[in-house]
Order: sequence, then structure tokens, then C-alpha cells
Amino acid sequence: MSTLEVSNLNDGTTTVATTFVTNGSAKAWVNWTGTGTVAIKDSLNTSSITDDGTGIYTINYSSSFANIGYALSLAGKETSGSTHGSNVDRLFHPSRVPYETGLTKVTSVNLTGATRDLEDCTSATHGDLA
Amino acid sequence: MTHGHLWDRLAEAKTRLDPVQSKYRVLFEDPATPDEPAKVLVPDPNFMAAALEGDILPPIETYQRDRSVPDGQPKEHPYAEPIGAMTEEEAIEYLVQKDIDPSVWRDYQGNRTILKIVPVEMVPSDRSFRNAWRIVQ
Repeated sequence: MSTLEVSNLNDGTTTVATTFVTNGSAKAWVNWTGTGTVAIKDSLNTSSITDDGTGIYTINYSSSFANIGYALSLAGKETSGSTHGSNVDRLFHPSRVPYETGLTKVTSVNLTGATRDLEDCTSATHGDLA
Repeated sequence: MTHGHLWDRLAEAKTRLDPVQSKYRVLFEDPATPDEPAKVLVPDPNFMAAALEGDILPPIETYQRDRSVPDGQPKEHPYAEPIGAMTEEEAIEYLVQKDIDPSVWRDYQGNRTILKIVPVEMVPSDRSFRNAWRIVQ
């Protein structure tokens, strides 16, 4: 493998530091099936997912974040049996559960707020690594 | 030769290693919340590939020491010298120590079995009785 060492990137008009690009990339992401026997479809910097119960998951990172000031993006959906607007399923970080640098707990609920499993779950985490 | 940051090694490994779906899952119960259902740890396929390849992951002891490092302080595991290749079974034991609280796999003093490593086909896929799952004694 060859290595290209550059400090800045220039598109002909604007110059940005390469750190601008690397710092802006997601440092961890994962796509998993949340129903049945949970399975991870693809990922980066994820060591495992723990199925903690119906609609409750823990994402464990291989390389921890430097602090709990990271940004989390989550999305979950059913892949069959539902149409736009007919179901409001949500995947989010529970408000009373503290963030941790080595893991993130997430939960999925239906319209009434009851926890439920979602077929497709995705997470991306942006932040500074330890 | 410098071994760099763990994240760099993981990102590079993802470009050249095929993911490995483990044939194992780890069932465990949290002694602090005995009324909750058993939890299931699912190994990440890219992590497993890195573990089986070797020279990517840090020693497990670095993660354990980092548990006591306060938030925002430098951690040891990202820059530790990587360890060699593991078998799939060793990788699962590594994950247990990394991703499951020591109160489950190290400190539990009770008589019940609260952690088992099982083939994936032994984990029920029907969630109808999800909250009734318990580890068979």
C-alpha cells in the first residue's frame, strides 16, 4: 500500500487542510438487523452489538472516543409491511442514559413509545477519538 | 516501524479483509438487574476479521486499564502495540473481556451461571418470548 502525504487539499479555488476532511468523517458506523437474531451487516470501528432486550441495543466501539462530546446519528426502519406515514418508529439515544466513550446505548420505539425491534438499524458517530 | 493509531489500522484492514461472521454469540445476564432478560452479544464481522488477521488489535489489558481512565484523559489502547492473530474462540473471549462488564465475567460470586458462549443457532430467533429468556442452568 502506498501513502500519499499532503497537508492541504485544493480544488483550484479553495484550500482546506486534510485534517478538515479526516476530522469530519464518521469515526464509527454500523448497520445491523435488529429483529430475530441480531446480525451486523457492515460497520467501521465497531467491536460488537449487544442485544439488551426488545428494542434495546448497545453499540461497542473498538477504538474509544476521547470524550462524550461526540455526535450520534441514528435511523431505523421496517423494510416490509409498512408505508410512508403509517408507522412512526424511532431509533434514538435514551435521554436518561449517559453517554460513554467506549459504547453507546440506543433504543427503538413505536408510535406509542413502547420498545420494539426494527429490521434495519443504522448508526454513525462523529467525534474525536481517544 | 510505528504501528500508528488503532482506528487507522481498523480502517486499513476493512479495505483488504473479508468480514467474518462468527458462529458464536455470548449470552449473559446482568447481576445488577436480575429481572431483565438475558442479553446477547453479537461479534462484529470486521472486528472478527481483524482479530483473526492479527497485528491490528491492542492487548485486552489496555482496554481493562482504560476503564478507569477519566473522560477526556489519554487512553492506552489506541496506541498500544498490536497483538498477533487469534483463533475465533480466543477472539470471543477477548470480546467478553472488552465489551461485557467485569461484574458479569470476573466479579460475580453467585451460584448461577450468568454467561455462556453458544453457537448462534442456539439463540432463539423468535422474539415472542424475548423477555422470558433465561440462561439454562
